[in-house]
Amino acid sequence: MNMRSTTASWMAAIVFVLFAGLGRAVAAPPGSPWGAGYFPNVPLVNQDGKTLRFYDDLIKDKVVAINFIYTSCGDMCPLETAKLRQVQQMLGELVGKEIFFYSISIDPERDTPEVLKKFMEKFEVGPGWQFLTGKKEDITLLRKKLGLLGDEIEVRNLSAHRASMLLGNEATGVWMKRSPYENTKLLTNLLGHRLLNRSVVSAQGQSYAAADHRAKRYDRGEYLFRTRCAVCHTVGGGDGLGPDLLGVTDRRDPAWLARWVKEPSKMLAEKDPIAMALLAQYKDLPMPTLGLNDQEVGMVIDYLKAETLRLAQDHDEHEHHHHHHHAPGHHHPPGPDDHQGEHEHHHHVSDGQDAAGDAAVPAPDQG
Amino acid sequence: MQRIHAPSPSPTGDVDRIHGRLSLRKPGPVAHARHLAAAIARALPAAAVVAGVFGATTGPAYAKFDIPTGAPPSPLFGAQPFTQKMLRFEEFGLQRMTSRECRNCPPLPPPADCFSSPANQAIDTFLGQDLHPLPSRQANTRKQNPWKAKISECVRPLAYSPAEGRSPGEWFAHQRWDEFFPVVYFQTAQAGARVNGGVRDRMQRHRYQLGEFGPGGLYHNTTGLAGFDGTARGIEIRFHPNMPVQDPRALWTFDGTLPPKLLQARYGEPILFRHYNALPIDETANYGFGLHKISTHQHNGHNPGESDGGPHPFFYPGQYFDYRWPMILAGHDHINTDASDPRAATPDGFGGTIRIPGDWRETMSTHWFHDHMLDFTAQNVYKGNAAMMNIYSAIDRGNEALDCHYEDNRNVNLCLPSGTALDWGNRDYDVNLLIADKAWDQNGQLYFNIFNTDGFLGDQMTVNWLYKPYFEVRARKYRFRILNGSVSRYFKIALVDAAGNRVPVYLIANDGNIMEHAVRLLELPEQAIAERYDIIVDFSPFQEGDRLYMVNLLEHDDGAGPKDLIPLNEVLSGEYENHVEDGEYEGDPAVGKFLEFRVKAYDGIDLSMNPADYAEGKKKMIELPRPTAQELANAKHRVFEFGRSDGTDDKPWTVKTDGGPGFTADVRRLSAAPDEGTLEIWHLENGAGGGWAHPVHIHFEEGIILSRDGQPPPVWERWARKDVFRIGDGPDSSRDVTVAIRFREFPGTYVEHCHNTQHEDHAMLLRYDVENPGQIIQIPAPMPDWEGVVYEDTFTLPTYKTGSPAP
Repeated sequence: MNMRSTTASWMAAIVFVLFAGLGRAVAAPPGSPWGAGYFPNVPLVNQDGKTLRFYDDLIKDKVVAINFIYTSCGDMCPLETAKLRQVQQMLGELVGKEIFFYSISIDPERDTPEVLKKFMEKFEVGPGWQFLTGKKEDITLLRKKLGLLGDEIEVRNLSAHRASMLLGNEATGVWMKRSPYENTKLLTNLLGHRLLNRSVVSAQGQSYAAADHRAKRYDRGEYLFRTRCAVCHTVGGGDGLGPDLLGVTDRRDPAWLARWVKEPSKMLAEKDPIAMALLAQYKDLPMPTLGLNDQEVGMVIDYLKAETLRLAQDHDEHEHHHHHHHAPGHHHPPGPDDHQGEHEHHHHVSDGQDAAGDAAVPAPDQG
Repeated sequence: MQRIHAPSPSPTGDVDRIHGRLSLRKPGPVAHARHLAAAIARALPAAAVVAGVFGATTGPAYAKFDIPTGAPPSPLFGAQPFTQKMLRFEEFGLQRMTSRECRNCPPLPPPADCFSSPANQAIDTFLGQDLHPLPSRQANTRKQNPWKAKISECVRPLAYSPAEGRSPGEWFAHQRWDEFFPVVYFQTAQAGARVNGGVRDRMQRHRYQLGEFGPGGLYHNTTGLAGFDGTARGIEIRFHPNMPVQDPRALWTFDGTLPPKLLQARYGEPILFRHYNALPIDETANYGFGLHKISTHQHNGHNPGESDGGPHPFFYPGQYFDYRWPMILAGHDHINTDASDPRAATPDGFGGTIRIPGDWRETMSTHWFHDHMLDFTAQNVYKGNAAMMNIYSAIDRGNEALDCHYEDNRNVNLCLPSGTALDWGNRDYDVNLLIADKAWDQNGQLYFNIFNTDGFLGDQMTVNWLYKPYFEVRARKYRFRILNGSVSRYFKIALVDAAGNRVPVYLIANDGNIMEHAVRLLELPEQAIAERYDIIVDFSPFQEGDRLYMVNLLEHDDGAGPKDLIPLNEVLSGEYENHVEDGEYEGDPAVGKFLEFRVKAYDGIDLSMNPADYAEGKKKMIELPRPTAQELANAKHRVFEFGRSDGTDDKPWTVKTDGGPGFTADVRRLSAAPDEGTLEIWHLENGAGGGWAHPVHIHFEEGIILSRDGQPPPVWERWARKDVFRIGDGPDSSRDVTVAIRFREFPGTYVEHCHNTQHEDHAMLLRYDVENPGQIIQIPAPMPDWEGVVYEDTFTLPTYKTGSPAP
C-alpha cells in the first residue's frame, strides 16, 4: 500500500461535523486582554499590493497561523514555508475560509510585493495564505508583541530571527507557539481541531484495543529526512518542490553531494554549475542550508542510499512473490511475526508525507 | 541585554559565604547609567529603530527591565509591605477509604452557565460528601460526565463523555492495584476563585485545638483579623486587604480557595487523589491566560506512570481523574524487601512505627503537585494550580520529642522542628513557604502575558499568595520548607535581622530530600523554579518584638535567566534602585525584602534537634545512597543537551538526545527507555551558550549529582538527592551536570524537561519510559477529547535502549 492511497483513504475516513450556529462573532472574549487593545493594528501590504490592517483585517475573529520570514533566507524560512504548505494541503478548503495563513517579511525593504509573489509561486502556495510586507518598525513591533522577538540583535541580524510560528484563535484568545520542525499532522490537528474547535470523528484515532502497541523504530537519517527534507523531496515519489531523490547517491559524486547537503548556499554563491542548473530547473527555489553537521549529513546520505536500494529490491520482488527482506541500515521491530514487520516497512516509503506511526489527524471533509 | 557570565561557584562549607558581584560594572547609580549607555552604544545603528519601537508601544512594556513581562507595574492600591499576616497552608485532610458505594450522592454539580465554575455553596456541599463513585482500577468510562448536558449547550452536542478523564485500557490502569490499594483519599475540585466556606476546618489534623493552632496559639487565628479564630471560613482571595478580590476567571486553584493547600501524607498509606475539574466549560472565560484542561503532577513522587500526571493525559471540565499514589520507598522491590530495617518505617499513630520495604535512604519529605498541561503548564501553575505536600516517615516524623535520634543513635526520628501535640505531622514550628513573583493588571486582577518570549516575570513578591506578608514566630527553632513557585524566576535568599546582619541558617533538605549532613549557610543557594530547600532557623537569640527579613538578591531583567547577584548591603541601604520612575522600573522590583518575621517570646521547651550536631564530619541525617564503583562502571550513559537546536540562538527550544538532532516535544517520541531496576548516568548539558538557564527536571526518580563541569558538586549538593538540576549561567549553576539515577518499581511513561515552565511549554521536554527488561511493547500515546481518549502510535529514537558510549 503506497502512501498516496493511504493518505487518500484516511482523509476520506475522517469526517468533520461542522458545527453551525455557534460561531463566535465577538472579537476576543470580553475581559480578554488579547484583543484590539493588545495587537497593533499596523498596516501591511500583501503580495497583490493591497494594504491591510493587521488586527482589523487579518486576525480579528479568525483562526490563524502566523510566521515571519524573509525571501533571501538561506536556511530556515524555506523549510517553514514548505512545512506550512503541507499543512495547507492537508487542511484543504478551510484555508482562506476559516483558517488563515500569514507570512510576514522581516526584510521589508527587499521583500516587495512583487518579490513576495514570485516567492509564493515558487512554493506553489495555495489561496488563503498571504505574504505581507510593510514598514520595518511596524513589523518589528508585531514580532515583539507576538512574543517572537527577544533581543534587539534579532532586528539587525536577519538570520538570527526566531523560527517559531504562532497559531491562534483570536476570538477565543487561545494562542500557541509551535516550531517548523513540528509534525505536519500535529500542526494540522492543532489548527483544524483544537483551535477551530470542530468535532472530529477520526477513524485513524484508534480505540485502545486497536492501537498498535509495538513501536516503530526510525534510524537517524530517516528522522532527519522526515523533518528537514521531506517537505520538499521524495524518494521514488516524484518531484516535489525539489527533485525526487531516488538514486541520487548513484547519480552524484559523493563529495559533491555531501557538500551540497551541508552548505548549498555557499555552493550557489560560488556558482557551482550543477547547483545553478538545479536552481534553474526547480523554479529558482534554492536548496536551503539546514545547519546539519558532518555526522548528520552522513546519516541523511546513508538513508538515501538505503532507501534507493530498498525500493529497487522491493520493485524486483513485487514482480515475483511476496518476499521478506532486510535493507541495510533499517531496523525491524523484533517479533515472531516478521510479515507484520514487513508491512510496517512499506509504511516507511517516503514521498514527502509523514509515514507510519503518525495517526489521527483530521482533514477537511471533501464532500 | 548584554548577558553577563558568572564565575564558577565559589567554595563553601561551614564557612561564611558572601558572593561577589557577577557583573563587571561598579556599584552605584552613576555606573548603572554608564552601563546602560554602553549597551545602547553597542546597539547604536539599530538603536533608533529599536528604541522607537520599544518606547512607542502601549505602556512601558519594553523597558530595560521588562518586569512585569509585557506590562506596566502592578498597582499596589496603597498596600504597604509587611502589613498583613501570612496565611499558613490549609490541609486537604485525608479520609479513610470507604467501601460503600454512596446510594444518593449527587455528582459534581454543573455550573449555571458556560463561563463559570459551579456555585460556591454547591462545591462545598459536594466536597463534603463521601467519595463517589468508588475508584476503579481502569478508568471509569461507564459513568457519564455529569456536565455533559451543559457542555452540549456550550460547545457541541456530545453523545458520550466519560466521567473519568483517565485514559482507558490496561496500560493506564493503576498498576499493582490490589497491592497498593488506597487506604486514604482526598478529593478536591480545581475551581475559580471563591470564598472559603470553612469546609476543611474539621479536616485539619490540629483541629484548631492543639499547639500553636489552638486557642492562644500563634496560628489559631488564620488571618490576624477578627472573626477568623480557628477557621478559614470567610477568607477571600486577595493579595492584600487593600487590593480587590480576585475574579473567578483570573485565578483558578484547588477548591478555588485560599489558604493554599497542603497534603500531609505518610509512607505506607497509599493515597487516592480524586481531582475534579470544575473550571469553566468555555475556554475563553480565563482572563486571557490558563487552559481549563488540566493534568496534575506530583513533583517528584515515586509514582507509576499512569498517575504521574504528564502533559498529555489531561482531563476536561466536569470530569475527574484518579491519581493513586502508592507512598512507597524507592527500592521497594529490590532492597529491604522483608521490611526489617527500622529506618524504613512510618509513624503508626500510637507513638511507634510500622516498618515498610524499600531503601530508607530514599525517604522523601517536601513535595508539591501542580498542573502539567501540554502547552499551558506555565499559565496554569501561575494561575493557581499548585499545592504542597509534606511526606512523613519514621525519620521525618513531624514530632520533635518522640524517641529522638540525638538521644540515642538507635532511634530513628531526627526530631526536626515541628511540635509535640500530635503523634506525627505537627506543623507548629514546621512551616511551608510558597514564594512566587506575580503581577496584576490595573484592576488588580492576576495578569500573565501569554506572548512572552523567554519567560514571564512578575514584579510583586508573594509568599503563600500574599503580597509581602509578616509571620509571627516563637523565639525557638523553626523548619521552613521553601518552594520556588515561580514560572521563570530564580531566587537567592538571605535572612537578615533588623540591622541588616546576616542570620545563619542550616540547609537540611534539598529538593525535598533530607541530606546526609546539614550545611550552615549565610545565604541559600540559587533556587530554580520548583526547587525546594528545607532550612532550620533558630530564633532563640532574639527577643519579643524583634524583626527579621527574608531578602531576595538575584536580579533579572527578562525571563531568560538570572542576571546579577546584588550585594546585600546595596539592597538594604537602598543603593540598589528598583522603584518605579516614569511608569517603569529602574531595577528589578523583586530584589529586596519580601517576608518579615516578628519574634514572640517562647515559654515552652524546644526539644528539636540541633542541626550543628549533624554538620559535615558529625552525625548523619539520611545516608546518601551512593552508587558503587561497580554500578557506575556498568551504568548506561545518556546525554541530553538542552538548548536551542544546533546550539545557535535562532531555533526553537529543543532537547538533543545522545548526540542526535535537537527535538521539540512530541509525546509520541520515546527518547529513552531505561530498564526497571537499573542505574544509569545521565549527562545534562546546556547547549545554548551564554545567558540561558535551564532547571532540568526528571520525573519519577531522584538523582545524585556526580559532577558539575567535571568538578565535584558544591557542598549543599554533595549530600543531596535532587530532582531539579540547574544548568546555565546562574551563580550556583554549571554548564553540565552529571547525574546518577536509578529506575525502580514502576514501568511507565514519564518525562524529562526544563522547568522554566515557559521553555517547557515551548517544548523543551522529552518522554522517557521505564520498561521491563526485554520489553518490546510501547505504550501508545493518549489523545484526550471531550468524548474520551483516542490513541496514537508511539515511535522511538534509535538510542532509546542503548544510550550513548561512556565518555
